[in-house]
Amino acid sequence: MSEPILEISNLHISFFTKIGEIPAVMDFSMKVMPGECMGLVGESGCGKSTVALAIMRDLPGIGRITKGSIKFRGRDMAELSPAELRDIRGSKIAMVYQEPMASLNPTMRIAQQLMEVPLIHEKVSQAEARTRALDMVKAVKLPDPERIMNAYPHQLSGGQQQRIVIAMALLSKPALLLLDEPTTALDVTVEAGIVDLVKDLGKRFGTSMIFVSHNLGLIRETCDRITVMYSGEAVERGNIADVFATMRHPYTQGLFRSIALPGTDKNLRPLTAIPGQLPLPHERPSGCNFGPRCAYFEKGRCDARDVPMFEVAGNTRHESRCLRIAEIDWDLPPKRRDTQIAVVVGEPVLEIDHLQKHYHVAANEIFGKGERRTVKANEDISFTARAAETVAIVGESGCGKSTLAKVLLGLETATGGRVMLAGQEIEKTGVEKRDTATVASIQMVFQNPFDTLNPSHTVGSQIMRTLEKFGIGKSIAERRERMFELLDLVKLPRAFEKRMPRQLSGGQKQRIGVARAFAGHPRVVIADEPMSALDVSVQAAVTELLMDIQRNSRTTMVFISHDLSIVRYLSDRVVVMYLGYIVEQGSTDQIFEPPYHPYTEALLSAIPIADPSYTKRRVVLEGDIPSATNPPPGCPFQTRCPRKSQVPGDLCETQLPPLRDMAADHQIRCHLAQEVLDTMGPVIVATTAEKA
Amino acid sequence: MLQNVGFIGIFLGILGRFWPVWLALVVLLTLSFVFRRRLGLYGHLISSGVGLAGVIIVGFWLFTALFAGVVAPFGPLEQIVVMKHALPGSIEPATGIPFYLGGDKLARDVFSRMIYGSRIVLAIAPAATAISLMVGSLLGLPAGYFGGRIDALLSFVANLVLAFPVILLFYLLVTPGIMDTPVPYAMAGFFFIFPILFLCALFYTGYSKQKAKLITLLGLTLIIGGYIYMGLVFDRDPLNIIHIEPNELNIFVAVAFASSPGVFRIVRGLTLDIKTREYINAALTRGEHPWYIMLWEILPNARGPLIVDTCLRIGYTTILLGTLGFFGLGMSSESPDWGTAIKDGSQFLRLYAWPALVPAIALMSFVLGLNLLADSLREQSLRD
Repeated sequence: MSEPILEISNLHISFFTKIGEIPAVMDFSMKVMPGECMGLVGESGCGKSTVALAIMRDLPGIGRITKGSIKFRGRDMAELSPAELRDIRGSKIAMVYQEPMASLNPTMRIAQQLMEVPLIHEKVSQAEARTRALDMVKAVKLPDPERIMNAYPHQLSGGQQQRIVIAMALLSKPALLLLDEPTTALDVTVEAGIVDLVKDLGKRFGTSMIFVSHNLGLIRETCDRITVMYSGEAVERGNIADVFATMRHPYTQGLFRSIALPGTDKNLRPLTAIPGQLPLPHERPSGCNFGPRCAYFEKGRCDARDVPMFEVAGNTRHESRCLRIAEIDWDLPPKRRDTQIAVVVGEPVLEIDHLQKHYHVAANEIFGKGERRTVKANEDISFTARAAETVAIVGESGCGKSTLAKVLLGLETATGGRVMLAGQEIEKTGVEKRDTATVASIQMVFQNPFDTLNPSHTVGSQIMRTLEKFGIGKSIAERRERMFELLDLVKLPRAFEKRMPRQLSGGQKQRIGVARAFAGHPRVVIADEPMSALDVSVQAAVTELLMDIQRNSRTTMVFISHDLSIVRYLSDRVVVMYLGYIVEQGSTDQIFEPPYHPYTEALLSAIPIADPSYTKRRVVLEGDIPSATNPPPGCPFQTRCPRKSQVPGDLCETQLPPLRDMAADHQIRCHLAQEVLDTMGPVIVATTAEKA
Repeated sequence: MLQNVGFIGIFLGILGRFWPVWLALVVLLTLSFVFRRRLGLYGHLISSGVGLAGVIIVGFWLFTALFAGVVAPFGPLEQIVVMKHALPGSIEPATGIPFYLGGDKLARDVFSRMIYGSRIVLAIAPAATAISLMVGSLLGLPAGYFGGRIDALLSFVANLVLAFPVILLFYLLVTPGIMDTPVPYAMAGFFFIFPILFLCALFYTGYSKQKAKLITLLGLTLIIGGYIYMGLVFDRDPLNIIHIEPNELNIFVAVAFASSPGVFRIVRGLTLDIKTREYINAALTRGEHPWYIMLWEILPNARGPLIVDTCLRIGYTTILLGTLGFFGLGMSSESPDWGTAIKDGSQFLRLYAWPALVPAIALMSFVLGLNLLADSLREQSLRD
């Protein structure tokens, strides 16, 4: 067996702050062999980024390694001089960060930035450096490499920028590549391209990789080994196949059960949330950190002393930090919530008919002459949402889903078409002209929990203001009573009335956002990816809460998302949008089964799935989403469509495809012949027939 | 030859004169430290060295202005002929109290004048800054929030004022010819209406559904605000409590006019940033009025940078007052304010440095204290 590239043993890292020493990482060990890809997974604050920074010896000023060692190719990095460290960083160990724009220098051309790497580390000639840079740009599969080389970073899209960052990291032929959430800021179909690239390059250059992510599915699809972290500790470590087949830590299992997978269903197989919250770094419990949230917790044993890692019998190099590995029946199905009877959808509440929204961007505000450009954010949107129904709107950034929400809420007025809310036409009335009842009957849950509450006012006063605005309750006392009821509804203690938003966790803030949206008994609630910014273990609880309230109040929900797994889990109908058009719509089953629109097909294939009992057909899209100011002629998807060659002639380039009825309520906007659509196979297939 | 108390005598003597200031500072700091956990931002401020230094210096001048009558041994205009150009530490024969920092060319006590000068500076600088803060906010919020033509127009006017040479502007405002016209009063009328408008808009948008509270607050604002407005702008205070000298009113208006565009630009910039937040969209989706959003949703979240800016701005205003005094603009020629005093002393600077040096150091230390405070505030607000 060869020597490991990186060996971390019993690493302890602490941050020294005003309130004293706060341990960030405890007793962390990891071995990365040559050519191996190690996935580091965990929720925010678990210490995974701290480990990555410690490997780079780039901890912030207040952070210090208190115990343990990091050995790179057998040499302890603590013993290296600053000059040797500089030599290793960027040439032997390279890092790719989450925000590509922040890693590139905006004032330098791509060529210069890439050439710097061989120029500095290998002292090669200018011409040699340029050749190498160009080769690498080709290797990361960027179109038109010469043009890219002469571009500035801001002229590239997010996905292209991230490819450049990866190219830069690989130029020095590092032995170890650290990727810290490299795709979190990107769209799913772009993410799929980057993930493919990373896997491919890893094989080609034989680079070892450490892939830091919060997404279990992504780790499963990219890595060979996985380390699961919780609250500063590694809790489970092993080969991908072993860990996903035989999870031996309650946290890993809880995490796995709280994400929406192809087999879950909001009525029959609801998600199981992990109770409680992540402990704060200075308030960790004694003994097992996961103890207070664990269903198998045993008092006097689990909280007695620090738990070491145990070998899992039967597997190689598989360890878990659980005292009760041998005692727990790991195959026992979780205590799920009771299954629910599917709600019966009612009469149409929201009817959208050929809705169109164009923005005019003038070059000069005062004199108003100049060139006027039109952004076609929404073109021809038609769908109906019924009472108690959940309609998901799926699409990537720039597809016009946020504009649609704005028009529905009255923050923008439509350019054309009609929107009927409970029989009333609302598309031309901005929110300031709507009467109180209309305003209250269509409300929104916002995406970013950290931005959804005004940081200057107390939680109670913000809910009270909403009630006051909606004319609920005659006196302050009545409104206060109603506010308490709303806090009960979202399962938060009444003492939260006096809290400021910064004293709340992300999940709690999002619950307040839900309470606010449901304050005026709305007919329609628009939810804009309300879970996407939350930690995985909290997501499930908020999802279930939202579903429960919706079910009981028979509210129509318009759920905006780019994540098809969660959409499959909670929606009744799905509308897929691309560049302002609906490209496919139908019931959830119709969308997830063939025939597909080629875009839906690619979208389905792009979603990382954490469940090993499903396999996917790979459809990777080329290029990026075109700009809405300059949409391509003909079919909006023609620039990236992998099935364009199957359509005869130049139909795709010249003509907008009509919406074709495939089945009852199932429509596809595509030129593909019926026979081609009929021969499509499913993208996601269960490998094991039986799955309880 | 006058008797002299010597260097140590001067040092101890001055320390002793400031006894009410020390006492007040000790009380303030003790209370601050005891309750610092409950004082939020201010509590954090005094926990850092720079912030503490800022608080002490600014507090020192604040209390000096407050207790000037006790601290200063002589009146600001009191002339004792033998003390003309007296050396620092010379003992005044009649009372036996030394002129700690010497006498000036008109035989007045430099130390006492410096103490009384702080009163003028600390009365005008913060009040003028407060006025410009309200003017800037009330104009900057709609400019940033609505954008478009309103923004273009207001920004243009602000740039115009900023581009105009400030000193020339002051010369124009305080020349006797202009002072006799109603222009200064019209400008005062324009600027002083903003605080009243600001409070009315704030209460009106915030409590429109709570009639009783709204009427009380609006009534109080209009009565108290109107009363002060009458006194300041028309000099028609029926009880003759509120009164301001025409030349001081002029300075006040000039300073407010010069610093409003700066506040305007900061508030406009902050508004542009904050209006993209989701809680603004949340307010819009429940049908809030634009002015409610500006005053209750945006302005409170702009407070961090605004507090820092206000601190720095009081400093600039102090320097500006000094400059005005130095050019002999606005203040009467025997006024003890620091700028006028520096100008007075500068004539004999090579022979007798102290009459100009003392107010200069006073001005410098006060501005330094404000800047330290602003630095520390910025650091603390970044940490939150």
